[in-house]
Amino acid sequence: MLSSIERRVSATLRDVRGTAARRFFVDRQTGLWRSELAWLGVRSRDHARVTAVLDETPDTRTLVLEPPRGWVPHQPGQWTRVEIELAGVRTSRCYSLSSAPHDPELRLTIKRVPNGRVSGRLHALRVGDSLRLSPAEGEFVLPATPGPLLLLSGGSGITPMRAMWRTLQERDAADAVIVHHARTRADVIFAAELEQLARRRGFVVVVRLDDDPRGRVGFDEVALRAAVPDLAERETFVCGPPAMMQRVEAMGLARLHVERFTAAPRPPRALDVRAASEGAPQGVSLRIQGREGGRALSVRTDGTLLDQLEAAGERPASGCRMGLCRTCSCLKRSGTVRHAISGAISDAPDEIIQLCVSVPCTDVELGPVVRTPSDRRTNEVDERVKVHAHTPVKKVPR
Amino acid sequence: METRSIETVDQATGASADRAPRPSAGRTSRRLSRDEADALGRELDAIRAEVLADLGERDAAHIRAVMKASGAAAIAGRTLLHFGVDPVTFALGTGALGLAKILENMEIGHNVMHGQYDWTGDPALRGETYEWDIVCPGDDWRRSHNYEHHTFTNILGRDRDIGYEFLRVADEQPWEPRHLAQPLTALVLAVFFEWGVGMHELRVAETTRGEQSLAELWRRSGPFLAKSGWQIAKDYLVFPLLAGPNAPRVLAGNALANVARNLWAFSVIFCGHFPEGVRVYTEQETNGESRGEWYVRQINGSANLEGSRWMHLMTGHLSHQIEHHLFPDLPAARYPEIAPRVRAICERYGQRYSSGSLATQLADVAKRIVRLSWPRRRDLEANGSALARLLARVA
Repeated sequence: MLSSIERRVSATLRDVRGTAARRFFVDRQTGLWRSELAWLGVRSRDHARVTAVLDETPDTRTLVLEPPRGWVPHQPGQWTRVEIELAGVRTSRCYSLSSAPHDPELRLTIKRVPNGRVSGRLHALRVGDSLRLSPAEGEFVLPATPGPLLLLSGGSGITPMRAMWRTLQERDAADAVIVHHARTRADVIFAAELEQLARRRGFVVVVRLDDDPRGRVGFDEVALRAAVPDLAERETFVCGPPAMMQRVEAMGLARLHVERFTAAPRPPRALDVRAASEGAPQGVSLRIQGREGGRALSVRTDGTLLDQLEAAGERPASGCRMGLCRTCSCLKRSGTVRHAISGAISDAPDEIIQLCVSVPCTDVELGPVVRTPSDRRTNEVDERVKVHAHTPVKKVPR
Repeated sequence: METRSIETVDQATGASADRAPRPSAGRTSRRLSRDEADALGRELDAIRAEVLADLGERDAAHIRAVMKASGAAAIAGRTLLHFGVDPVTFALGTGALGLAKILENMEIGHNVMHGQYDWTGDPALRGETYEWDIVCPGDDWRRSHNYEHHTFTNILGRDRDIGYEFLRVADEQPWEPRHLAQPLTALVLAVFFEWGVGMHELRVAETTRGEQSLAELWRRSGPFLAKSGWQIAKDYLVFPLLAGPNAPRVLAGNALANVARNLWAFSVIFCGHFPEGVRVYTEQETNGESRGEWYVRQINGSANLEGSRWMHLMTGHLSHQIEHHLFPDLPAARYPEIAPRVRAICERYGQRYSSGSLATQLADVAKRIVRLSWPRRRDLEANGSALARLLARVA
């Protein structure tokens, strides 16, 4: 008894020092009063403040940012997840950092996508606004001791390259060929900087324009080999439109690094969802993250995730089984699910779904799933719920 | 009064003589066929879908504004308590702190923990992890309230919120001698309401009845002791000590603010399900109910409060208890907008839409608690304890 009281007290203390108290007193308050406290110059842990906005081309802007408090310097070539709120909903996109790690400020260079909601909002940001940045990640990084390099980019794919060449400029012996593709002269991002760079020792800069009357339109393997005769000796970094990247990959270059900044193409949404909900039920895969690599099972597109998980012997925590109590809430990492009652579709990554009313439409990956606590009373309650509350969900008229 | 008791007697005995459809009498609901209930359900589903599609910036801005107001009131209240020396700043400070706690518990805590703002993707507004400023642990609340109370609303034996297992608030609950003291018990509960809420999930009553082991009680008390421990430390230890010579004043102010919040929360919550005319159900009659019938039960098991916009905010919009029980996971600030449409649907289907001012509903609840504390002859015969036999002889 005494030792369990002791354990309880120490758990309470840990709780006070750790999660609950910090969440309650510090994080919630700083997050809430951020804009009111901005004039004090208080830097937040996950917010970067815009200190300047630079126009690069007619559709591309650079946001110069004061890094968040405690920002771990990125490696040249890495990206960050930028989060903003659109119609009250947190939305995020990944952008390569165009500043070098030694620069005092962070830079994001953003091309405005026609009708793009996120890029449109980012272009509307003004000095003093802030946005949320995740820690930098990515494997597309400059080696610690680079040999001869080729930095090959198209359009806004030049952004990680800037971080790289600025890092190289700091070093004594650079040997880099920069090949960049743009539609017109006016569309060349960092044009002035590229001109300066071309005059420096160790750098060769080739800019190819789609509307150049002398050259061929777009990326071309022959032209690349002509411009870079020692192509085989160079470590190549490529970032650009999908079509260009595909062709570069097909060239079979050794030591090739690829950065995709557009999501892999996926089947049109309406199509596969309708097939899943109206057509014959299909088998799809369900992955659950967890310790020991999580687990994978196959499920069908004609039943809720909760039912199917239980049928597979899992015991996810659950309650009302009609989408109200949120006991079975869990994070959906990827994939599409349909709400069994309203028919609403969730297809964005990292959305919270409820297992009891979610029917898979595609392969689905879930974050960790909370399991039913193993006390007998709770289990007993659960069994009774099945009898009582299962019916409403199934009897819903569509 | 007469018609009401006739109706409840029917329910208690399960008599089916009076089950034929009859026109809505205003006070009682017409019995709906499953098809009618499902049609009503579809209309409510449509309202729900409409609100869901319309959620956006203004909902996120609303809850953040309330969070700021609550935070600002807390800071102002604590500052006045800590640095003031006169009774005026004491009263103002206590009031501001009480207001902060009411807003945090009712409009922010209760609603966020229902997952009403999960769609924003903001971790600070995530229902699963929100922790509120009250001795009740958030996880206990999510289980007992979000799941049990909202799923099994007003089903005897399933909804532990009917009288919280120690008050008799429905004729259908069997009378026991301890109910004689319930007018007093209810008053004590009102003053210490947060402790009642916090200990609800420990199932003390079940343990005394022998339905739960002491070991299980001990296991369940873990989170409660931890949460209440640091709440006590915060309000009655750390903040008073920080005030130095003002410690007794701060301690008294914090205690009064907590009691003010307790009285308010008690009043609002008791008016949600316990006024006269609100129905309770047996497990038998709700077995295999459809989604539409579930909606009908929520309507008949809840009661609204009328008042100003500020009153609704202070109740966390639980003044729209009916709308809340129909749509527990829609942002509560939307309830006043949809209430007229819900009311119109209820009228069309002949369902009773219970609504009244806080004063009338509270008086109704008080009357009911007093009335049900006293046994009828039937109750005395059914109970059979020594005290009941004695009372029966006296009567």
